Amino acid sequence: MVEDIPRIGVFICHCGLNIAGVIDVKEVAEYAKTLPDVVHTKDNRYTCADPGQDEIRKAIKEHKLNRVVVAACSPRMHEPTFRKTCAEADLNPYFFEMANIREFSSWCHPSTPKEATDKAKEIVRMAIAKARLLQPLKEIEVPVTNKALVVGGGIAGINTALDLAEMGFKVFLLEKTESIGGHMAQLDKTFPTLDCSICIEGPKMVDVGRHPNIEILSYAELVSVSGYVGNFKVKIKKKPRYIIADNCTGCGECKEVCPIEFPNEWDMNMGVRKAISVPFEQAVPLIYTINLDHCIECYKCVDACGARQAINFDQEPNEVELEVGAIVLATGFDIYLPYDNPLYGYGKYDNVITALEFERLILAAGPTGGKVIRASDGKKPHSIAFIQCVGSRDLKKYEYCSGFCCMYTLKNAILIKEKYKDEVEVYILYMDMRTPFKGYEEFYRRARNLGITFIRGRASHVIETPETKNLVIRAEDTTLSQPVELPVEMVVLCTAAIPKADAGNVARILNISRGMDGFFMESHPKLKPIDTPVDGVFVAGACQGPKDIPYSVSQGSGAAARAATILSKKKWKIEPIVAEVNTELCRNTKVKCGICAKRCPYGSIEAPENQPAEVITAMCHGCGTCVAECPADAIIQNHFTDEQISAQIKTALKDNPEGKILGILCNWCCYAGADLAGTSRFEYPPLIRPIRVMCSGRVDRDFVLEAFKLGAGMVLIGACHLPYDCHYISGNARMKARMDALAPMLQKLGLSPQRFRVEYVSAAEGLKFAELMKEMGIQLKELGPETIKRENAMLKPILEKMLAKKQRKSK
Amino acid sequence: MDVNKDSNQKAWLLFLGCAVPYRVSSYEISTRKVLAELDIKLVEMPEYNCCGLPIDPIDHEMMLILAARNLTLAEEKGLNLVVLCPGCAGTLRKVNKKLKESKMLREKINSYLKETGREFKGTIEAKHLLQLLIEDVGLEKIRSAVKKPLFNLQVSEHMGCHVTRPTGAVDFDNPENPEALKKLIEVTGAKYVDYIDKSACCGAPIAGVNDKIPLQLTKEKLIHVKDAGAQALITVCPFCHMMFDTNQPRIERMFNETFKIPVLHYPQLLGLAMGFSSEELNLKGLRVDPTPIISQVSDRAEGK
Repeated sequence: MVEDIPRIGVFICHCGLNIAGVIDVKEVAEYAKTLPDVVHTKDNRYTCADPGQDEIRKAIKEHKLNRVVVAACSPRMHEPTFRKTCAEADLNPYFFEMANIREFSSWCHPSTPKEATDKAKEIVRMAIAKARLLQPLKEIEVPVTNKALVVGGGIAGINTALDLAEMGFKVFLLEKTESIGGHMAQLDKTFPTLDCSICIEGPKMVDVGRHPNIEILSYAELVSVSGYVGNFKVKIKKKPRYIIADNCTGCGECKEVCPIEFPNEWDMNMGVRKAISVPFEQAVPLIYTINLDHCIECYKCVDACGARQAINFDQEPNEVELEVGAIVLATGFDIYLPYDNPLYGYGKYDNVITALEFERLILAAGPTGGKVIRASDGKKPHSIAFIQCVGSRDLKKYEYCSGFCCMYTLKNAILIKEKYKDEVEVYILYMDMRTPFKGYEEFYRRARNLGITFIRGRASHVIETPETKNLVIRAEDTTLSQPVELPVEMVVLCTAAIPKADAGNVARILNISRGMDGFFMESHPKLKPIDTPVDGVFVAGACQGPKDIPYSVSQGSGAAARAATILSKKKWKIEPIVAEVNTELCRNTKVKCGICAKRCPYGSIEAPENQPAEVITAMCHGCGTCVAECPADAIIQNHFTDEQISAQIKTALKDNPEGKILGILCNWCCYAGADLAGTSRFEYPPLIRPIRVMCSGRVDRDFVLEAFKLGAGMVLIGACHLPYDCHYISGNARMKARMDALAPMLQKLGLSPQRFRVEYVSAAEGLKFAELMKEMGIQLKELGPETIKRENAMLKPILEKMLAKKQRKSK
Repeated sequence: MDVNKDSNQKAWLLFLGCAVPYRVSSYEISTRKVLAELDIKLVEMPEYNCCGLPIDPIDHEMMLILAARNLTLAEEKGLNLVVLCPGCAGTLRKVNKKLKESKMLREKINSYLKETGREFKGTIEAKHLLQLLIEDVGLEKIRSAVKKPLFNLQVSEHMGCHVTRPTGAVDFDNPENPEALKKLIEVTGAKYVDYIDKSACCGAPIAGVNDKIPLQLTKEKLIHVKDAGAQALITVCPFCHMMFDTNQPRIERMFNETFKIPVLHYPQLLGLAMGFSSEELNLKGLRVDPTPIISQVSDRAEGK
């Protein structure tokens, strides 16, 4: 404890006009001056820019500041920036506090500048109240294992692995299927230069296979991940190939004698492979696999293999454990197969196929030797129509644009035209032709000059003529405002790129979140596009959202660079926002308690019998769940102490508490969702006074009781969605259990149910947050201050008693 | 009062709407016959008003009030509604769902209903005839009520849009690949004939604004039905029925085509299979002469 008198400096940012355009910054600054312990205030045009930071550093020295409050944007944006600024001026970075008056005020209340200014003042006041109680903290250092795990061997993962290996780090490349290569290895040519896909990816795959620093773990799956940045422990399950990898030379003599064929998934099930085979000739590692679902165990392959003795039918799945310092996810995407769309007839009509199936048809090494033929009669079609945006840009399926379909459609159309000239008519039905990036528009022009017919409009229906198996497409040509009926002999559906089927499972194992679209969420859409909320875990390629090859390659290299920032260090610093046990108050010494140990999502607390509980600091993620769960209030969470939060509550509810919503929002989901509401400029009534906690698990029921004791109009607890979105595994579930017990009690005491709410808002749900605020605003108005005051008067004595009892107990 | 206590029959409140009693009364007549046979008791509601649908584009709130008033009538009787017109059914289901879900909206609408001494409580369900047949009666029970299976009779269907739409509110069958009517037709023993643009529009929503376009749409569909070899077309919507039946002679004249495809309301088809006479099902009420199929049906039925 540092018993010092706080000397607080308050810096209020204009953010150009982003804040100053709505909020009267001077007024906020004048107001801040009047608050206790504030010795210096200053407003800046851009506090985060160099001159602004310089002013902070100077002021710390000149005015002997020992606390700094910046009122600007979200702490999720610039808290690290200003902590560094403070540290540069020799002030402990944890003496810094941020007041978010942009995302939480100027951006979401533009049409009520007066109310926005008032709200900003109170947000600043709350930040100052917390700042006065801040304690210096020291960063914790952990050792780093300088090896990396890359999950997924597509083009993004291949690049990450190669780059990291070249930097000198040991890399484990985990691949679920038999070979690395990913979707790129399935494609014929690539846009916009029409190089053969496997010809350019193949050498890279070989490089991976040969690199001394890379170990490929193919035909294997991720089972579990534990530990933390620099020190992950990863369990991987290797599936049996029934082949001894070291003995297999990849000669393929076994395949020649194998009598069994089954559909090859690699060829979109249009071609076949043997029961002992590789999915494609260029597979890396070149190790054969026996598919026991199809194998009849005739053992002809065993004879063919002979002295090499590479076949072993007794192989079992085995688990391997790895220790790595960083993990890069490059798990890629799936292609939507539109069986559930009856309007286009996929799966019903023989001659309606997907674009990925078309790739396998036109590919010289594909099942038809590169001949584009119809499934119904094996004949070459004389007219082909590509229907774009199947599943993509469709509110009923996937809202987002899959990004690369316009380009691959153009590519496929050009390939047909160049191969068959005028023998085949080509139509493209598109919504918008999206061809940004280098060389793409020129490629579009090339397609237009080849006599391809472009129809701007979404196809409504595909109908098969039963006798000929030809198809009729019904659509609207929106450039002519006319319905069109287009008879063609083959239809290619350009379907959406969708999250991998097991993306949810992978997200759960790594404790990262997914967006509304189901793809992995990055830490920040612009400034941290490769990071995830879990330190040491990065994303690359289409697992974060659909991407074309150049983009995936760049992101793969980017992820390697990000991972290297950890792997290149001997020690890694961890934020000291962790839990600590007050051994004197811990009652585990007297009775068998151990609640904290049971409720900690990470198992980072030990509570041996008759001894005080202990937090294993390096494993603690700082959610604060144990703090709220402890019946003796014997645990504190650094930087989010009971005193600090309760000071914020008191300050927030100082004036007109009946008219306010006190919000305690978790950093990763609800607070981020509220930030997004601001960033998206969704306007809502300026009623909420937000308090940020790292996890909703931190929300003590005493906070709620205290808020109502002080007369709050409404209390909102904002958390990540159940069951899996919590960034601390299960903090939100713990909070729910706590509040489920509290809510009925409060109602019994006479509290209107709408006044206490627990809501689940993800970081992607800015709109939901704004709607929630509007809804609560209406309810607050409907209840009216009179009803609220009446209820509060009734509740107050009981709440006071409950809180006092607790305080006595802890004393 | 509890009508259900009086007998083993299940009672439903019959919502007729406007088009059924005024323009396609044979739909109502045949429905009453077959539902009685299926132990469904129909209770009349003479005090009903417009379902609200036609007013929706002009005054959304008025639509909500009109629909809500109808729903309160059923709540008062404690009975679920069975609705013949899919337009009415879709509207009543939509409004019922919306008002049940949103307290705010419910309170607003109730503030208007209060003037007539009514209040929406959200205690009943509204269902279209098809939904009632599938979900509450069940295919097995219908199958057992079929006494003269219509073997060898080949029919197609046009289910129309509103039986399954608005999708979120109606929550019945797959709007883009509906199967309810298909199943109900197959239960009668008739052979179900598919045709290519089965789920395309009948044209009725455009009629009144423009004559030629809707009749052209109807013509296209009739051509496909005829090509598919169907002897009759089955509908469950008064408006679809008017397009295919009432307008069929006009379409034939206008486009110089000959169809002569009888268009039956589904309960008429089911009624024939149950053994009702053509008079009982008011087959005379149809514009396109259904005699060819009636004679076939009865001949075969007697022959067996």
